[in-house]
Amino acid sequence: MTTTVPRPRPNINEDIRPFWDAVKERRFKLMRCQTCSAWYWPAAYCRFHANEPFKGNMKWEQASGRGKVFAFNVHRKAFTPAFEAPYVYALIELEEGPMFGSNVIGCRPEDVKIGMPVEVVFSDVEENLILPQFRPSSIVCERA
Amino acid sequence: MQKSLNKKFAIVGMGLLAGRFPQHSQRSLQAEAARLAIEDSGLNPSQVNGAVDLMLAPGSGSPPMETDHFPRILGLPCKMFFSIGRGGAGGVLGTVAATKFLEMGMADYVVLSYGAKDWSRSRGPEKTGIRSIEKIGHWGKPFGDLAAVSHHTFFASRHMHEYGTKSEHFGAIAVAQREWAQLNPEAHFHGRPLTLDDYMNSPMVVEPYRLLDMCMINDGAMAFVLTTAERARDLAKPPVYVLGAGQGEAMESLWWEKANYTRLAVKTAKEVAFREADITIDDVDFAGLYDCFTGEVLFQVEDYGWCKKGEGGPFIASEGIGPNGKININTSGGLLSAYYFGELTHIAEAITQLRGEAGARQVPNARVGIASGHGGEIVSPGMCSTHATLVLGRD
Repeated sequence: MTTTVPRPRPNINEDIRPFWDAVKERRFKLMRCQTCSAWYWPAAYCRFHANEPFKGNMKWEQASGRGKVFAFNVHRKAFTPAFEAPYVYALIELEEGPMFGSNVIGCRPEDVKIGMPVEVVFSDVEENLILPQFRPSSIVCERA
Repeated sequence: MQKSLNKKFAIVGMGLLAGRFPQHSQRSLQAEAARLAIEDSGLNPSQVNGAVDLMLAPGSGSPPMETDHFPRILGLPCKMFFSIGRGGAGGVLGTVAATKFLEMGMADYVVLSYGAKDWSRSRGPEKTGIRSIEKIGHWGKPFGDLAAVSHHTFFASRHMHEYGTKSEHFGAIAVAQREWAQLNPEAHFHGRPLTLDDYMNSPMVVEPYRLLDMCMINDGAMAFVLTTAERARDLAKPPVYVLGAGQGEAMESLWWEKANYTRLAVKTAKEVAFREADITIDDVDFAGLYDCFTGEVLFQVEDYGWCKKGEGGPFIASEGIGPNGKININTSGGLLSAYYFGELTHIAEAITQLRGEAGARQVPNARVGIASGHGGEIVSPGMCSTHATLVLGRD
């Protein structure tokens, strides 16, 4: 349904712009250390060894977009008219390791369970706003 | 090991204004609480030459660019003044910082003040119902992560999943604290008792949390005067000594460390604070545990060691943390049932208990109490990563 009040926009700064630029192309990127291959979210220096200036050894790389529900809640109340309750906000444990906060869509809130495999889906929630949300997936990821 | 805090500094005065004050600015409330604290100590304002502004976050609530902070309004001859903010842990951290200035002789008496206009702000024309702490970098807003309850529920979700904790366990905390509030005339919910049925029937806001799992908002201020133990001796009120303090950070481990969703960063905070104070958990007569939500209380009952990790729910429900319980937790009613001033709510109660001024809720022979703070940035996946412990005691 259409709402008259727009959702809050992402706070995009220099650190996270490449992530949102990729989302516009419907690609899900995480930061990865080019020295030791460790994955990061949000952007960070690699904590396992010395880093190049301004984390030059870190690159945004295409990630699997797969994970499992680690924790979740069900908003029974929308705090602004920009949202419609109920909706699920969850921490997704990504296949690569990091946790990622997003919505679980594509099923009833009652059907969301911890440990449930999910995959990223790029939703056009409003004009000029694409969000990386997650939906139930039949593919069980390797590590999470 | 040489101790930095143990009984070297003391709180000698306190001012508390809790309720609804739409007619006063936040700074004025802070100034008035500071005036009351100085009056309570028996000092003359001209002797108070240090001040600390305790904020939830620098740049939020009390803009750092203001030129007329509360000590200037009050006309205090300050040689030192700074603002400190780390969510609901700034009071403990500000206290630790102030002891260093006292130790260096930069000030003789330091007044620390916290102010809030949360209730008034929620009534404003731009009413959103959202009490936002972090405006920049807050990851989840487009996804509907709009309020503290939007992500603090992850803690409860994980604890319920891993340990079988039930709504009734969280409810036992809400009920126990409301029982304490019935004994505290200054508590917002004084005169309004609560049963477990009331709790279970309260509306689900963000599942698994109901309305009665959430703390309240109000206006007001809390201030206290800190000085050296030597100067504290001959003042109007018996000194309340700083026995120990410590801080812990979830950022000790990676952002996605799973254990950080079923515990708070109590370990290091407690170790350092208890070592400074030379105490064990058995020496603690009462505790003010940061209770923005019921779940934080449950976590801390485990994390401080009153029971094992995962057993907090059954422990609280069977042993009790209320007026007739096994341990005395949040004796003022806490943030859930008394008033919300971050951990200053708990510091105020500790001072009151240790002075023996707690009336019907007085813990008999209270000698040692703790106040804990919790807070920090709210950017999922890392949320409210800090924990702070303050140990206070009397002669």
